[in-house]
Amino acid sequence: MGIKHKIRLLVKVLLLSVILLIVGVTVSGCYGRSQSRGWSGAIITDDTLFVASTEGKLIALNKSDGGRLWEVSLGTSAVAVYGSPAVEGDLVYVGGYNGKVYAISSSLGAKRQVYPVDDNLEPIVSGLVAAGGKVYFGCSDGKVYALNAAELYKEWEFPTGDKIWSTPVIDGETIYIGSFDKKLYALNAIDGSKKWEFDEAGGAVASTPLVYDNTVYVGSFDRYLYAVDATNGSLRWRSAVEAGKWYWAKPVAYNNVIYAPNLDGKVYILDANSGGEVAGAVDLESPISSGPVVVDGKVIIASEEGKIYSLDASNNQVSLLANMGNGEKVYAPLCASNGVIYIHTQNSKQDNLYVLNAQTGVTLWSLSLTSE
Amino acid sequence: MFELWNSGPVALMLNGLVALSHYLFGSFGLTIIVLTIIIRACMYPLTAKQLRSSQAMQALQPKIAELQKKYAKDKKKLAEEQMKLYKQSGVSPAGCAVPMLIQMPIWIALYQSIIRVLSVVPEGLLGLSRYLWSWSIVYSMLPLDNNFLWFNLVGPDIPLAIIVGVTMWLSQKMVTPATTDPQQRSQSQLMLWMMPLLFGFLAMSFPSGLALYWVMSNVITMVFQYFVLGGWGGLVKSSARRPGVADKDYLKRIARVEESAPDISAVEADIVETSSTEEEGLGYGVSGDKRQVGGGGYPSSLRAIRRQSRRSKRHRPKRR
Repeated sequence: MGIKHKIRLLVKVLLLSVILLIVGVTVSGCYGRSQSRGWSGAIITDDTLFVASTEGKLIALNKSDGGRLWEVSLGTSAVAVYGSPAVEGDLVYVGGYNGKVYAISSSLGAKRQVYPVDDNLEPIVSGLVAAGGKVYFGCSDGKVYALNAAELYKEWEFPTGDKIWSTPVIDGETIYIGSFDKKLYALNAIDGSKKWEFDEAGGAVASTPLVYDNTVYVGSFDRYLYAVDATNGSLRWRSAVEAGKWYWAKPVAYNNVIYAPNLDGKVYILDANSGGEVAGAVDLESPISSGPVVVDGKVIIASEEGKIYSLDASNNQVSLLANMGNGEKVYAPLCASNGVIYIHTQNSKQDNLYVLNAQTGVTLWSLSLTSE
Repeated sequence: MFELWNSGPVALMLNGLVALSHYLFGSFGLTIIVLTIIIRACMYPLTAKQLRSSQAMQALQPKIAELQKKYAKDKKKLAEEQMKLYKQSGVSPAGCAVPMLIQMPIWIALYQSIIRVLSVVPEGLLGLSRYLWSWSIVYSMLPLDNNFLWFNLVGPDIPLAIIVGVTMWLSQKMVTPATTDPQQRSQSQLMLWMMPLLFGFLAMSFPSGLALYWVMSNVITMVFQYFVLGGWGGLVKSSARRPGVADKDYLKRIARVEESAPDISAVEADIVETSSTEEEGLGYGVSGDKRQVGGGGYPSSLRAIRRQSRRSKRHRPKRR
């Protein structure tokens, strides 16, 4: 074979390889593969607001003017945080997608404890709840964990059949939490023993349950909202209307009415006792994955495309309160305090905190949570 | 354009996969296997055409070589004669590439669907809901289990990547013509090793779900080749190879070309009478002697056709 032919053949093969590699890299790099950035909600205690940024930092801010009190990096590289932090005493707790729970001094911003110390759990997407000297959270390994709040060692764990992304809700001595195994669990908060499980949902339960008037309300991936007796786990009702997509965000209740946002962009307004529609669903035309809040008789809802709406609970009329614009997306649950709403947004470059007056929608202040 | 692609082929593939998994015990790995079988079954006519085309192209190589020799100085005439030869033989050079090209968007759509369906990060699962159609089973099936056999369908798996390479090598080897022409042999050998290595390498950086598709696709290709080409081809060195139905059709056409085109027939006649080496170049045999003794394989089938072709010069059959 001539050298010329050999070279030509080699060039052809290399060209084919390069084309295939370019296709491969383009396909793997550009499409579909999502990165974990996180969407931590905020928590407010007294005058301080705690929120985790998409850079993996826990930040403490003065809630009135946004003055930065401290910030601490959770890991050596950016740790995504999806759940809201929890506060108990002088410690603020946050769970990372790297499978670690951190306890940080709320006044100094210094890391005090980490669980587990050496290795990592599966990713933590669930928010943390601190109460009665314990910190509770669900994990992607399918277990509910209770850690000692002071020393951050494991007190008990409860296994479910699949991942847990739902944030636990504590009511008295009972913890309610949903799992991807399509069940809702009620656990004894003291020792982690199961009180009951509700297994009539037809889809995974990723949303955080709402406990209201001795009833647990939870949305499922089967597109129905369920009302379950908090005492024995029996089904009270299944929503009369089937939503267009998954229930992802936690619903809110006001005046015996449940406001359940859905990824189909609608807020379903249901009677808390019967599950029937009190009013037609309000269509916000963009998925709603952020948990709403109730402020002065108004349900404040953020759509994914960065629009903030106020739904008047007295007449179920909705009005646009603010538009974040500039490609801002809202995934994190809203947080409210003294008539003020705190919204953690993110765009392709950075994440921001917007603080709005709940009545007027006027921006009181805003700041970037991303390092300059 | 991008949105059209996502809401069209990707959404179709994605929803189809999830709905199918409902009937396959929620096993996404099993779903990919069944989907591969469905896709390949739908593409069978094209695949068969590709196999026949490439086989016929191989059969025409000596003639093309002769044409190249004959019209070495007249490229235009060479191209004309080549096209004439392809046309008369019923061979389409593009026929070999079309199924491959058609599969490319399927790979991409499948890749994107796998990534989205099995997305482990919350952003991915949240984004997935945009592409779901309003079917109850689709919504309640998700999220799917990522594990199948020993591997996780989302991440790459080295043993599976090796299996991709091995099965691809086997399927390539089946159709690689054994030839004594050093130029052709070198080219075949390069392709025989390059493609499996490349796909094995890609499988190491792609989700195992896609690698599983490739493995299944290679196995199905081997089955198709077995039936369409009528044997294990290059996998079994000394085996007698009975020509498949497709072979017969194409080879008959080639024989007809030999009859109808006097100049090419003359060239072909020269080849036949020149030496056994050129004969082997025509007929894929690893060992010309063995095949002559065994009486099987491509060479004998081609020889038979040629003999028939020469005989029929006297009694030319009616042209269709």
